[in-house]
Amino acid sequence: MTDYFAQIHRGLPLNDVEIIDLHAHLGPYFNMHSPSTEAADVVRMMDLCGIEKAVISTTFSFDTDIVLGNTTMLRAIDSFPGRLYGACGINGNYPELSLDELERTFRRPDVVMIKVHPISSKCRLDDRRMNRLFDFASSRRLFVLVHTWLDNDPYGNQDLFASVAASYPEIKWIMGHSGGPYGSIHAVELAQKTPNIFLDLTLSMCPARQVEFFVQEIGSERVLFGTDSPFLDPRLQIGRVALADIPQADRINIFGANARRHIQFV
Amino acid sequence: MDKMRFFDCNCSIGRIGYPHLLDIPDVSGLRREMKTAGIEEALVYHVLARDGHPPLGNTLLLEEIKGQAGLYPVWVLLPHHTGEMPPPERLLEEMKSKGVRAARVYPGRLHHSFTLAEWSSGELLTALETARLPLILDIEIVTWEEVHSLLQKYPQLPIVLANFTYRHNRFLYPLWERFDSLYIEISRFMGGGAIEDAVRRFGSRRILFGTNMPHYTGTAAVARLTYADISWDDKKAIAADNLDRILKEVWS
Repeated sequence: MTDYFAQIHRGLPLNDVEIIDLHAHLGPYFNMHSPSTEAADVVRMMDLCGIEKAVISTTFSFDTDIVLGNTTMLRAIDSFPGRLYGACGINGNYPELSLDELERTFRRPDVVMIKVHPISSKCRLDDRRMNRLFDFASSRRLFVLVHTWLDNDPYGNQDLFASVAASYPEIKWIMGHSGGPYGSIHAVELAQKTPNIFLDLTLSMCPARQVEFFVQEIGSERVLFGTDSPFLDPRLQIGRVALADIPQADRINIFGANARRHIQFV
Repeated sequence: MDKMRFFDCNCSIGRIGYPHLLDIPDVSGLRREMKTAGIEEALVYHVLARDGHPPLGNTLLLEEIKGQAGLYPVWVLLPHHTGEMPPPERLLEEMKSKGVRAARVYPGRLHHSFTLAEWSSGELLTALETARLPLILDIEIVTWEEVHSLLQKYPQLPIVLANFTYRHNRFLYPLWERFDSLYIEISRFMGGGAIEDAVRRFGSRRILFGTNMPHYTGTAAVARLTYADISWDDKKAIAADNLDRILKEVWS
């Protein structure tokens, strides 16, 4: 068995397992100093720890100008073909524009997901203006990544997320952050009831044994690797999956095999 | 290459009312998390001293980590005016005799209901400064103005900001430009490239390794540091050497 403990402690990139980050970003943000905001910064951090691919959306694409944000995303994935892939940001306050953005970006094969951030856009996930956007996702059986937070998100909390997920069974719904650092137990309850919900590991405050708990409760096939890079540093997530007390087959699923099963990376 | 030694400045034991996920209340649970992550030593406080009552929690802490190699006590303190804790001189003697290595305080109306202002905490803070005993402050509950005031009034007191996050650089950097005695721990300092940026601008000397185990996993902070794009010496300094240096000066 691979000795990930030694590799992590030596700071060596993991190279015997494919690692795909389904929750990454790009760009600066208004309420923080982020020293690594460019596409090259993101790829550099991926290289240091062994992340092969990342699916990125930009901060602007979900809380300010979705056109500017998605255009920035497209430029970035052009710069790093085979490493960076796109998630099209949509905003329910702009349903027509969002639909245009979906049509524009999904002409390309390297745009592979949709990103929604309900609390940033202050548009509830079940707002009827979202329906046509979800119809688009449903017709293509896409992943839709939604920011969720257990306690303080009236626009996209876990229950709201699960009810919308149940209404669109063809969509593969990623519960972003799995509801936050206190959301793990409710996240698995909802995932157990709704088979098209996937749990996301992205967090800065990573609860002890969360990876093990998710695998034990719902299996590893619906647990996805994500980092929030470059808001958050991707390297911390490598440590907690690599050193989790789970079988190697589950680790392989989480790191990248699950993403491979559902997304055609060109 | 030898394994880097990790010395964690932000660990606890004790049951909390609102756990993140699992109930990990005792030393054996903390030990398990340390072993999984590969962390050898830790400064430890008792959450009952924070969430219940400081004197009771501090006493329990000493009982529970007695004889535990690599675990060092941190006490949660109150000013002495209500008689819940002895006057600072006696308190510090007691802490020294019991091997306490650092202190925490939880001021403010929502926490331990006292102020860090001089008229309340001045004697206590002066005593801590004289002993060079590190004071660990949760930056989620103290204000940056309070931190600035403490740094001005007690320049020899090492102040460690726990829960320092990736959103705090705009507060921290101007303070780091002015004050040498301000430290951060990295359990939530997880911004992309943030450690590299801080080391490039200010060096590694004021960054300490921390995890908030057993509530968070230690594996995240370990990997964040081992994969950092900084020199091996800077990694070693953050992992343990900086905390060693601070603790060497305590009671000196």
